[in-house]
Amino acid sequence: METSLRHQRNAEKLKRKMRIDKAFKYLFFLAALLSGSCILLIVLFILIKGIQPFLPGYRYGQMDLLQFLFGTMWRQDQAVYGVGYIVINTLISAFGALLLSFPISVLTALFIAKIAPRKLSAMLSTVVELLASIPSVVYGVFAAGMIVKLVKWLASLWGISTAGGSSLLAVILLLAIMIFPTITSMAVTAIQAVDHELELGSLALGATKTQTNFKVVLKSAKSGIFAGAILGLGRAFGEATAVSMVAGNKLFGPTFDLFDITRTLTSTMLAGLKETTGLDYDIRFSVGIVLMAVILVSNLILNAVKEKVGNHG
Amino acid sequence: MENCFEIENLNLYYGEKQALKNLNLSIRKNCVTALIGPSGCGKSTFLRCLNRMNDLIEGCRIEGKIMIQGVDIYDPKTNVVDLRTKVGMVFQRPNPFPMSIFENVAYGPRCQGIKDRRILKEIVENSLKQAALYEEVHDRLHESAMGLSGGQQQRLCIARAIAMEPEVILMDEPTSALDPIATSKIEELIEELKKSYSIIIVTHSMQQASRVSDDTAFFLLGEIVEMDTTRMIFNQPKDKRTEDYITGRFG
Ligand SMILES: Nc1ncnc2c1ncn2[C@@H]1O[C@H](COP(=O)(O)OP(=O)(O)O)[C@@H](O)[C@H]1O
Ligand SMILES: [Mg+2]
Repeated sequence: METSLRHQRNAEKLKRKMRIDKAFKYLFFLAALLSGSCILLIVLFILIKGIQPFLPGYRYGQMDLLQFLFGTMWRQDQAVYGVGYIVINTLISAFGALLLSFPISVLTALFIAKIAPRKLSAMLSTVVELLASIPSVVYGVFAAGMIVKLVKWLASLWGISTAGGSSLLAVILLLAIMIFPTITSMAVTAIQAVDHELELGSLALGATKTQTNFKVVLKSAKSGIFAGAILGLGRAFGEATAVSMVAGNKLFGPTFDLFDITRTLTSTMLAGLKETTGLDYDIRFSVGIVLMAVILVSNLILNAVKEKVGNHG
Repeated sequence: MENCFEIENLNLYYGEKQALKNLNLSIRKNCVTALIGPSGCGKSTFLRCLNRMNDLIEGCRIEGKIMIQGVDIYDPKTNVVDLRTKVGMVFQRPNPFPMSIFENVAYGPRCQGIKDRRILKEIVENSLKQAALYEEVHDRLHESAMGLSGGQQQRLCIARAIAMEPEVILMDEPTSALDPIATSKIEELIEELKKSYSIIIVTHSMQQASRVSDDTAFFLLGEIVEMDTTRMIFNQPKDKRTEDYITGRFG
């Protein structure tokens, strides 16, 4: 009976097992510490760099914080840096993109998860995944070549002239396309996770497929779909490369006219970054802080809304 | 006495596999009919034929006739959505929607296009009363149904079915996920409900079948071995296999 499990157990082995368990605990902790401190380091670095221009004794001349935060003009040639209108522009373009993309994404997700025949559904899923993996600079080239032309043509229908099509509308369209795969794939996952019995319950009550999809499936998947929207919005806020290619970098604002050029926080940070020094360079870190704050606050608000409209139970 | 269902030569196949074999039976109106038999013998499959939930299963093929009120439910002219308003269903696992208690019950009527808040309120209250749930939930109709106990959830599902004022209510082992107290509440409810509805209930409990039903059909391997009044089935079964099953010497 030497081979029986009972004889295999002994104090020595147990000790070893506990040691390994402990070692792994430290390993996990170390991994968490590493990634955590990376984030902390980045934030800290940007905070320190970004605050510099507003401190007395700043070597290029102290900036006024209020003028920076609420200013409506951004001109490096005159050393006027007001980020207020850019914040509004950023909010408009990101939420505009979300507003446009969200319904289309959710309906596409519903189609993929519930309506399309199996083969078509698999094909569409692949397409959505591919869209998500296209680098943003490629989207940017596409926007600069195609979306801009479309906007120009649209504007000409109303007899409006544009800056070669670079405009708020172009930014919104571009961002809407870019966040579409993010929201769609999250929504597909959420919809697929809905208990099939709920659907059967609805159909058994004489609801049609469409009624079931909208009233039960989407409603049950609500919180997952909402999480997708928050993720998409984050992407819209943070996208720099592609946006810079069609925004037009307006010097003042805010921009409410769809056919007018605009300027976002990211495009401001990126524009001419490599060719500049001094205050004009440092101030980009301050913009970075503002961008982080905007994203943080938006996420907090949306999460609060999510809790409110979230699922029963 | 009138019949609510007349089934003729019903055969059902899942792909190549035959799950129901030439069933012929009538189900009496305003009675409780119990379907018993070992698991995998086709009770749920048969139940799903009656409101055409099998239509949703890929590769499922049906032959034969199922008549309700003189119409074949598998006739191409029959509207499935309309059929399901006449034939309600309660599932094995309680499946309330993630909405308020009120909205759960109002769901069916709303899907029929009823929007008037007053009418909906009346329907919801009546249905909850009929399902013996109103007393327990009247002060929290607008709270989530997910907060109810399992037994309450199942009665809510019954209320939800009743709200459609169906002819028949199908129940597939409605108490198998419930504790004994919740089970006996549902059994009392069934007793009450049969005054207004015909009920067909699948159960694996012999006691439940004998307690609640008027008629019993014994299924075995996709066939009906014997169908009769519950009293006859439990006291003088004609078939040896029925006797073996109900006395527990089997399956
Ligand atoms: N969706 C399905 N697809 C294929 N076979 C099924 C399906 N549902 C049930 N079956 C088969 O049909 C037979 C009857 O099943 P079921 O009606 O669930 O039995 P019961 O409810 O009496 O336990 C079983 O052999 C089962 O494996
Ligand atoms: Mg079953």
